[in-house]
Amino acid sequence: MLYRRIAIVLVMVALLMGVMPVQGQDLKPIPIKLPKAMFVGTPQNINVPNLEKPLGKPREPFLAPAGVVNVALNKPVNSSDDAPIIGELEMVTDGDKEATDGSYVELGPFVQHVTIDLKAKHTIYAIVLWHFHKQPSAYNDVVVQACDDPAFKTNVQTIFNNDHDNSAKLGGGKDKNYIETAEGKLIDARGVQGRYVRCYSNGNSNNDLNHYIEVEVYGLPVK
Amino acid sequence: MSEEKGNADSKKRIDRRDFLQGLAGIPVLGAFALAALKQESYRRTRKAQLASAAVPQGDAAEVNVALLGVGAQGDVLLNSMLKIPGLRFKAVCDVWTEYNLRRAANLLKKYGHEVNTYEDYREMLDKEKGLDAVVIATPDFWHAEHTVACLQAGLHVYCEKEMSNTLEGARRMVQAARDTGKLLQIGHQRRSNPRYIFTHDVLLRELNILGRVVTAGGQWNRSAAPDLGWPKKYEMPVDRLKKYGFDSMHQFCNWRWYKNLGGGPIVDLGSHQIDIFSWFLGANPKSVMASGGTDYYDKATHEWYDTVMAIYEYDTPRGTVRAHYKTQTTNGSLGYFEQFMGDQGTLVLSESSQIGALYREKTQAGPWDEWVRKGYLTEPKILESKAEDLTQGALDVRETISPDEHKIALQFFDPYHKPHLENYFNAVRGLEKLNCPAEIGYESAVAVLKVNEAVEAKQTLYFKPEEFLAQGAA
Repeated sequence: MLYRRIAIVLVMVALLMGVMPVQGQDLKPIPIKLPKAMFVGTPQNINVPNLEKPLGKPREPFLAPAGVVNVALNKPVNSSDDAPIIGELEMVTDGDKEATDGSYVELGPFVQHVTIDLKAKHTIYAIVLWHFHKQPSAYNDVVVQACDDPAFKTNVQTIFNNDHDNSAKLGGGKDKNYIETAEGKLIDARGVQGRYVRCYSNGNSNNDLNHYIEVEVYGLPVK
Repeated sequence: MSEEKGNADSKKRIDRRDFLQGLAGIPVLGAFALAALKQESYRRTRKAQLASAAVPQGDAAEVNVALLGVGAQGDVLLNSMLKIPGLRFKAVCDVWTEYNLRRAANLLKKYGHEVNTYEDYREMLDKEKGLDAVVIATPDFWHAEHTVACLQAGLHVYCEKEMSNTLEGARRMVQAARDTGKLLQIGHQRRSNPRYIFTHDVLLRELNILGRVVTAGGQWNRSAAPDLGWPKKYEMPVDRLKKYGFDSMHQFCNWRWYKNLGGGPIVDLGSHQIDIFSWFLGANPKSVMASGGTDYYDKATHEWYDTVMAIYEYDTPRGTVRAHYKTQTTNGSLGYFEQFMGDQGTLVLSESSQIGALYREKTQAGPWDEWVRKGYLTEPKILESKAEDLTQGALDVRETISPDEHKIALQFFDPYHKPHLENYFNAVRGLEKLNCPAEIGYESAVAVLKVNEAVEAKQTLYFKPEEFLAQGAA
């Protein structure tokens, strides 16, 4: 009896936290295909507070309902910088995650964003984000949001925010800073729903610029 | 020092250390003390920097700059320069017009610099008449031609290391700087790093904190990585590649691995640190032996050695120093650092601010409390708790005692290349002397390029003192 009560409480907590899908759903690891690991070239001076400790081992698989795929693949992208320094915005969703020249788009300095139009409302379970993993670096003020409004004015849902001092003026966040790697940053989206996904950054530990190799959005269409 | 005296001193030092640990245990006092130490440390370093400059004050006017070579390293330099006030970028030159050149011009535009772009440096020098300075970050085998032409065009030059892939080329660069009277800074950026300057000027020279240095070491370990790729849609045409000395896009993107184009990892990586050996020891090497080979990668595309181990011997004013250096490109563990070991202590230093510590030889060195109080070093961290047993009188003095670890209090968080570029532009303005002029860069090139020769010769090679003097420059 006691065990049953404990089990019920645990299930309820899990449901409230949004980490457990509807009962009876089959969970599968989301199919992330990783690029080649890099870290070449001249090292840079990294001084980033509140930095997440590296795992030191491959990330655990992320479980989501069967059928969840990258719904951002080849979807249209727009940006606060419509004249990138190099590369094209299509690279953000083209499936190429390598950290080589020609695989990333480089946006101008300071706060910039890319916005992916999923073309329909989706339930989003995870977002995996590769800024630039050729060299160790941490991107500043990473904020990831989902919304049904392309202008991101109403009902904006913030999924990740490590802007501790609100320097990007989007509202402060408490998530940790992190070093870019070939694994990308996996963000648990906890089943939020929206048609548009927007990723902000505010330069990085090496320079003022903003880079995007790929953004993957793992979800299912809302029926 | 006798064993008996050493043991007695150990007791005294433990008392002092206990006192320091007690201080550190008071968080508020500790925080104030640390802030004060850092401030004092910074003040001393700035004072040391200014004292070493010893130059007349000049006009801090705007400097008109051209960039020659804006690939990966040029991009690193450019992003550092964008944080230096008083620079006006006027022109950019790169043979990869479809990608590097376009990218650099677009980047500069974001910061309000409208630049003229060029594929051929000769056209740039012909057309751009208002330039003061150029920053060169082309492949090593182009350095001599580019530098000499720019100096002769009346420009001051910052040229990335390695100064040249041949000593003949490096000598021509030195001679051109002498003939034209223009400045030539070589990109050994540690020479301007505040932590390195502080360590050299204050800890080693003023305090002689290591005592008699007997050995040195260094390494740069880098993880295995695939060859660099390129976007197919931006490929250079073959005739242009050939015109500028490359067989293919693969060779263009990976030129560092090719003989006649670069010098391989021992030159790309080791050059920085072998330069520190000479600077900190106050001497150039008298011999080198080395072993190396392409043991991991494809020899067809990695002509230079992916793994090299070298041993140098130095005759310093205080006696012989032997130094070992290792570079490998198949495992990044333990990263990169330099190490100097004297009878009073050990120094481990790296460009990375996270690495930088001194270890006191407890049985030989006097206390370092004063340097802690003055803010040169942080309070000691006890590395091994067993050391506490020393107070029990059960120590066998023949055993090695774990040293305490002191961090260098001075922190540095700017981009690594920024101080060296600042030094260059301040020299252009007449405000400072160059920290790595052509002659110093040449000495470093002599010491480093000999390693590849020693690998091939499979025997100890000796340097003649006159080899370091860039004599016989054309």
